[in-house]
Amino acid sequence: MTSRLLVAAALVALAAPAVAHHGWGSYDAARPITVSGPIVSSRFENPHATVTVRTPERVWTVTLAPTSRMTNRGATADMIAVGKTMSAFGYPSTAQQGEMRAERITVDGKTIEMR
Amino acid sequence: MEHAATDLFSALEHSAWGATIRQSVWLYPFANIGHVVALVLFAGALAVMDLRLLGAFAATRPADVVGPARTAALVAFLLMVLTGSVLFTAEASHLAANPVFQLKVALIALGLLNVLAFQTVAARSLRALPAGARLPTAARATAMVSLALWLAVAACGRSIAYF
Repeated sequence: MTSRLLVAAALVALAAPAVAHHGWGSYDAARPITVSGPIVSSRFENPHATVTVRTPERVWTVTLAPTSRMTNRGATADMIAVGKTMSAFGYPSTAQQGEMRAERITVDGKTIEMR
Repeated sequence: MEHAATDLFSALEHSAWGATIRQSVWLYPFANIGHVVALVLFAGALAVMDLRLLGAFAATRPADVVGPARTAALVAFLLMVLTGSVLFTAEASHLAANPVFQLKVALIALGLLNVLAFQTVAARSLRALPAGARLPTAARATAMVSLALWLAVAACGRSIAYF
């Protein structure tokens, strides 16, 4: 029976996709960027809050933290509302042009960590 | 056809129910935690059932173990479908296009076909089997496939967020 279980475990290992990626896998951590400008749209939603920020070059979609964490750290829906100016430090997506995941954001002179 | 499916998932995501899930403070985390807790119950019940079919717990009558374990697995599976549908609705269009999610759904379909195979070729032969008896090959085979498939489903589930 032991050998059969080993075979089962091997099958699982083969079927399971590579786990080389981590939580921020599709973001380029080697190329951190800072995106600053007015917030043009804001979604305070699960699983992640997102805003779009207009810079001179383009409109960036900035992926933030889950709403519960945002709220706990003082980044409420009002704080990231449309019209506010946000500076977001983070990493650009390698999968989607113009999307980034924020490590930390600064709004109203307040800096809040996203993880 | 593919276009119609994409529209359908987009409509689901942008439905009032989809918005409710995303905007609720507790609904998404509740479904998220519930999905994992249901998985723990499912994997536990599944392991008991499949290990018995592979020859473990030999002092028991197979039917005495497999029957209740299957019921527990079924309840847990329904909980997973329920909580999973909430998680899916919140991000339907992204998830439907996610290759790992697609793999997961395909593996679930295979897992359910395997349940059908067990039911058809193995279930009947177990009923009268005494403790310590050698398990029929069909029962062992479906149990092994079951373990491999459902653990792979779990691995896919955990990997969706990383692809």
